[in-house]
Amino acid sequence: MTQKELHNQRLVKEAEQTVMRMNTRRHFLKESAMGLGALAFGSLFGSCSNTTAQSSSVVFDPAHPLMPKLPPFAAKAKSVIYLHMAGAPSQLELFDYKPELMKMDGQDCPPSLLEGKRFAFIRGVPKMLGPQAKFAQHGQSGLWVSEHMPHLSTVVDELCFLKGVTTDQFNHAPAQLMVHTGSARLGRPSLGAWTTYGLGTENQNLPGFVVLTSGGRNPDAGKSVWGSGFLPSVYQGVQCRSEGDPVLFIKDPDGMSRDLRKASIDAINQVNAEEYKAYNDPEILSRISQYEMAYKMQIAAPEVMNINNEPQYIHDMYGTKPGESCFANNVLLARKLVEKGVRFVQLFDWGWDSHGTDASLAIDLGFINKCRSVDKCITALLLDLKQRGLLEETLVVWGGEFGRTPMMENREGKQNPYKGRDHHTEAFTIWMAGAGIKKGFSYGETDEIGYSTISGKVEPYDVQATILQQLGFDHEKFTYEFQGRQFRLTDTRGKLINDILA
Amino acid sequence: MVLLSITTFIGRLHPVLVHLPIGILLVGLLMQWLSRKPTYATLIPAIPIVLLAGTFSALASCITGYLLSISDDYDKDLVSWHMWMGIGVALVSLMLYAKEKNPAFAIDKKILSIGLLVLIMVTGHLGGSLTHGSDYLSKPIQQIFGGDSSESTAIKPIANVQEAVAYTDVIEPILATKCYSCHNNNKQKGGLRLDQMSFILKGGKDGKVLVPGNADASELIKRALLPTDNDDHMPPKEKPQLTESQLALLHWWITNNADATQKVKELPQTDKIKPILAALQNAKTEVKAPASIPATPVQAADEKVISQLKAHNIMVLPVAQNSNYIMASFVTDSVVEKADLQLLLQLQPQLIWLKISNTNIADDALDMIAQYTQLTRLDIANTHITAAGVPKLAALTHLQYLNLVGNNVNANAVLALKNLQKLQSIYLYKTNSATAYTALKAAFPHTAIDTGGYRVPTLVSDTTLVKEPEENY
Repeated sequence: MTQKELHNQRLVKEAEQTVMRMNTRRHFLKESAMGLGALAFGSLFGSCSNTTAQSSSVVFDPAHPLMPKLPPFAAKAKSVIYLHMAGAPSQLELFDYKPELMKMDGQDCPPSLLEGKRFAFIRGVPKMLGPQAKFAQHGQSGLWVSEHMPHLSTVVDELCFLKGVTTDQFNHAPAQLMVHTGSARLGRPSLGAWTTYGLGTENQNLPGFVVLTSGGRNPDAGKSVWGSGFLPSVYQGVQCRSEGDPVLFIKDPDGMSRDLRKASIDAINQVNAEEYKAYNDPEILSRISQYEMAYKMQIAAPEVMNINNEPQYIHDMYGTKPGESCFANNVLLARKLVEKGVRFVQLFDWGWDSHGTDASLAIDLGFINKCRSVDKCITALLLDLKQRGLLEETLVVWGGEFGRTPMMENREGKQNPYKGRDHHTEAFTIWMAGAGIKKGFSYGETDEIGYSTISGKVEPYDVQATILQQLGFDHEKFTYEFQGRQFRLTDTRGKLINDILA
Repeated sequence: MVLLSITTFIGRLHPVLVHLPIGILLVGLLMQWLSRKPTYATLIPAIPIVLLAGTFSALASCITGYLLSISDDYDKDLVSWHMWMGIGVALVSLMLYAKEKNPAFAIDKKILSIGLLVLIMVTGHLGGSLTHGSDYLSKPIQQIFGGDSSESTAIKPIANVQEAVAYTDVIEPILATKCYSCHNNNKQKGGLRLDQMSFILKGGKDGKVLVPGNADASELIKRALLPTDNDDHMPPKEKPQLTESQLALLHWWITNNADATQKVKELPQTDKIKPILAALQNAKTEVKAPASIPATPVQAADEKVISQLKAHNIMVLPVAQNSNYIMASFVTDSVVEKADLQLLLQLQPQLIWLKISNTNIADDALDMIAQYTQLTRLDIANTHITAAGVPKLAALTHLQYLNLVGNNVNANAVLALKNLQKLQSIYLYKTNSATAYTALKAAFPHTAIDTGGYRVPTLVSDTTLVKEPEENY
């Protein structure tokens, strides 16, 4: 018997002893007096439960939680890349062209727009603020894009704009949660978690749901925007770093060989397997599979997460900055991950909260720089996916958590030092591309000054329902039982946006 | 086994036993009601006995019913409702008995009696629905009044929209699919018929629905624009809704006097309505994309073969839950062995999507792949195949998507596939075919050909930042 096997045997024995210590008769009776009664009662009335009949067809296999699963109907999208501009970019300087607003520039805001409304920072009567950008129509579709996105305007025929998105949350964290989890409060699974729960992931050596952040800060809602909520924890997003090791501690420490790593993982898994035999807790099986995946990921992740082996013309195309942490690098990584079969890639770029409180948050300064940092790489992403034949099966979504007011922000009733706009819930723009979404199309309209939606009004739930539809799910039937009822991403809401499906 | 058959036997007594509590308790309630008159006062002593008998029979029905429900397959939802209602009957009858015996009992007798009557009726109805089906009672009535059968009517595309008659060709089909089901000759909700011009103009019992020339004042439009959860919204929220463009068409037609005979070209057309009208026509000229899953059903694939492939890290699974067609992907494993391809051949009738990109396969593998004749999507990007191998794929007549990115192939090899009628997209980025784009496009007139090589130029603004103008001192 080798040293290694002896070592493993000892570990297993130790675990067995711990278990045995717990299994005394007294322990059993003490712990389970109530439980036995409940058990009997439960099985007696099991047939009364009305939840089993309608429960979703997704089966959770704890031993292989990320095994690819089949959607209820043939999917248009195999993967999703969600580009979230955290802080909420101004639709009025990018896609929602409002010449009428220019005419009102500098005038007092009419009282009809303020009565009964609440804003995050605007107090009293603010001034109107005309569009701080020149607009032009682009492509064959003739869609309007501002001068701040000179590259994106060349691929406008691939995009589908939703210009009438509304939400009911005007603070960043709840609004971000709303967009990604379908609820403004904490505790619900994110879109990516639902997706990997429902579909698993194609590449068994990589996580199914990867999150990359840039802009120097995580989104305001924290990691809950990519959390798994009440779904098994294995479905939460794996946050990778675009600088240094992609995942912390992914390298074996000095002196530890790959064989030794394998041996120790085998030993841990053996202990866990014994544990599972004793308790039958499915989370233990998940744990075992996670150890195995971590071991495989040690090889696969550094390879796919390394952008240095991409050719120079790709770097030029995306405008990446190897070695730094930036949005462009993350966008290139997103393409690489999707190419390798990762199901859901979520990018957060912080810094779009253009209040006008300082130069970096001014709509005519910092905002333009933010646009410049995303315009080229997003355009490159769309073209790169297209030429690789991946745009047909990859859904790209771009948006923020809400929009911005047609009024200039006057924090606490006083003029801000720079031009800026406050948070706005009644109209903002999200665009989608690829995976069976109409190309060069715009859905929804806002009024003359972009204050509220007059047609094609959609809510975050509707966007979620549409994304799920493209992934092969009916959002109303894709459920998970929790606390005695069936939950779904869109909960009681959500309407498929049929008009944007090709 | 014996135990099981005994419970089943007892359970099957349920349909007999259930009629006892219904009958006995109804008699009990009747006696209770009658006994309010002095003529029937003699019944009073009998009431508790009858109620107790009813309670016991209800209890027996509950027990047998429960046993029946676990031994047979019933609609779980319905069974659970029926069961709890049944238990309710037993409980309430027991309470009523208690009240008869001891008038100090806290709950009002009238409430108990009426509650019991309602419970008996509901439970009985649910039980009936379980045994006879939920539409047993309502079906004959529906047949008298005519069912909702017109909903499935689809809107047909128009050959030449400008020559079409606005009402009969554009508006009528919208009304037929979205309104007729409740407003026709059989059924006139709100006294309104929309199936003929004269009726539309006449309106319903709440007045006119249409003001020719003024769409915004027309009830027809107003109702459709109300929020869906408003009670007056039309069509009702559980019915298929008007789409934005259908609404725009109705609005346009009413604005232009809602005439029954004018042609589309005779009516003024705004920029907004033009594309919508054009879309009605395009629906026909546009070649309908073939379904991504073949319409013909296929038998299920051999599970043994699938599990063998899975053991080799190859992802094989049906394309959807209700389909036996399968997809296979080598995304986890870049080393393809001949045996894997042999195994896949056994799945030939079902295999429609294959992703074998970034693997070590070469031309010899294409001999095998060419035999997967059901394939509609094939991704062989970044492999070792060459121009000599590609023509073999001409056997894949169902192919819609072909990805050859990053392979050492040329335009001539791709031209050999020009008889593949169903091809919708070919991806040729990083192949030696970009220069021959025109020849390729001529050979594949209906196929999207992407030779890639896109560049995004670097503008001055991409590498510079906007700075605040410095203040002049």
